[in-house]
Amino acid sequence: MIDNILSGFSSILAIGPILGIVLGVVIGIIFGAIPGISAIMAIAIMLPMTFYVDPIIGITMLLAVYKAGIYGGSISAILINTPGAAASFLTAQDGHALTKAGKSGKALDMSLFASVSGEMLATLVLILVAAPISAISLQAGPIEKVFLLLFAFTVIGSMAGESIPRGLLSCCLGMLFAMVGLDSITGSSRFTFGIPELMGGFTFTPMLIGILVMPEVFNVIRRRKVPHHEMAITRSPKPADNRISLKEYRSVFGTILKSSGIGTFIGALPGLGSSTAAFMAYGEAKRTSKQPEKYGKGSVEGIAAAESANNAVCGSSMIPMLTLSIPGDDVAALLMGAFLIHGLTPGPMIFFEHTETIYAIFAGFLITDLFLLGIARSGFKFFVKMASLRRYFIFPCVTVFAFTGAFTAGQNMNDILILIVFTIVGYSMRLVGLNPAVFIIGFILTPFLEQNLDQAFAIVGTDYSQFLASPFSWVFIALSAFFVFSSMRMRKKSAKDQSTAREEAA
Amino acid sequence: MDRRKIDVGLSTFLMIISVIILTNDNLADGGAESDLGILFLPRVVAGFIILFAAIIGIQSLRSLSQGHKPEGQELIATDGFTGIFIYIAIFVFYWLAVPYLGFMITTPIVMLAVAYLLGGRNWPPIIAVSVITPILIFYGSREFLRVYLPTWAF
Repeated sequence: MIDNILSGFSSILAIGPILGIVLGVVIGIIFGAIPGISAIMAIAIMLPMTFYVDPIIGITMLLAVYKAGIYGGSISAILINTPGAAASFLTAQDGHALTKAGKSGKALDMSLFASVSGEMLATLVLILVAAPISAISLQAGPIEKVFLLLFAFTVIGSMAGESIPRGLLSCCLGMLFAMVGLDSITGSSRFTFGIPELMGGFTFTPMLIGILVMPEVFNVIRRRKVPHHEMAITRSPKPADNRISLKEYRSVFGTILKSSGIGTFIGALPGLGSSTAAFMAYGEAKRTSKQPEKYGKGSVEGIAAAESANNAVCGSSMIPMLTLSIPGDDVAALLMGAFLIHGLTPGPMIFFEHTETIYAIFAGFLITDLFLLGIARSGFKFFVKMASLRRYFIFPCVTVFAFTGAFTAGQNMNDILILIVFTIVGYSMRLVGLNPAVFIIGFILTPFLEQNLDQAFAIVGTDYSQFLASPFSWVFIALSAFFVFSSMRMRKKSAKDQSTAREEAA
Repeated sequence: MDRRKIDVGLSTFLMIISVIILTNDNLADGGAESDLGILFLPRVVAGFIILFAAIIGIQSLRSLSQGHKPEGQELIATDGFTGIFIYIAIFVFYWLAVPYLGFMITTPIVMLAVAYLLGGRNWPPIIAVSVITPILIFYGSREFLRVYLPTWAF
């Protein structure tokens, strides 16, 4: 493994990959810091631009956008109390309280150091854990893979949706859309209704941009009359209030380690995501803190806990994707699409078929953290200025990038129609409580399910009991049942808490 | 807008589509025989869609018939929807116009329209951005990505 890591570093330490990482970090921070634009939007817009470069450059650039975008979300959270993503909600509480006290430099510094520490720890776990897990998962045959994929659908559908039926319905709809076009196994055309343009199925990139990115533009358009907030870094006359000292960092290092551990663990489980990690880590840090009363009112420790946990998810969410082909959340689904477009099929075989590329990407992951630290630390003012641009400069550009991105995929105007249709579908899904990210995961995983299901049927013939002969099958059935049951309990508990809170308020 | 009514309509629609998938053999065409059968997986998925759509539809229908008022996520705020419709119209125009007028001419018009929709009235910088961005994208795509965006077709 050490040889592979060293070879990965030698591949990544070249002009192309480094430029890709620098560009990805800058774009990620800017997009993440702009209220209304999330990291996922930045990745989806950048994705088509990576089609024509080497996978090492393209994928590391997208991962840099992801990492920097998640961190960038904390800038708007701290300065104008507008979290770019739900995961930054807690950072906004403590960070903005510090900004109002004239200590925004301290909050931004803590957020950056905690983010980078959390990401590095999770990346190290990813590097150490991914290859051994993939070696185990290589033992799985088509039957086990079918159960694994069914487990993934069940877990993601039941954990990520507004309710279990809505989450699972979103997944089923994604699966149904994935079956349109020529079947890769038999060559039959399905659901094409004689329209030749549907033979190739729905092009992934325009659909992805339509489902995940453009509805965010719709949201901005709906809120277009809300006044624009200018961001500014408040400076204290006392230099100690404008930065984090080594002593302060050391005092919260234990919290960072613990929160990164929580983030790494939560990120590795499909369907939970960075918000859950941030809330759990924040709660745990508050519970064990010497000054829990400061939390929510400008606690540096609170920022450290929330940021290290939500950034740790970046690295560990790659674990199920790279080892089992299961994207745990929307960003992982998007990145899985990027891997597939670049000819790398995520799964256990990737460590054997593309060893050099995958370890170069891992090395890029680590180097991105260093660049993020350097670039963000030296360019706070620039990023704040860029993120303060008015929405009528930003969103016309987003519209054009979305158009160009959709066109680039196949150089075909029909893809723009797909973009428009799926933009409307994606926004309508949000309105009726269906989950677009689960839809995309269903769409991506269905070809794998169908292929493995076909092979599994060929193996078992008419002896269907063989489906349940492997212990793996029972393990995944039990895990699926457990996740559905625990999701039901979790939802019941939160509904009960909400109604109690409502009664108390009344 | 009451989301429960949409739930009932959408569930009914999805169930009808699923029943068609379950009963119609003409939805797949040609190809080789397989152990699985070409419509096996779509039909399994259609079965699950009926199940989940029915759960959602029945829950909403029951809440409606009991006369409960919509609360929380059941209430869809419709303010600002006009802007969305205008934006969709601009995008449809973009899609229809690009093959004829070309990317370089249509894009500044679209960017200006979107900027106006978002309340932009500071024209000199908006016009500058709307002209420079398409030029950079057009030549950037051609030179670096080898993607040839549509040009004037008359």
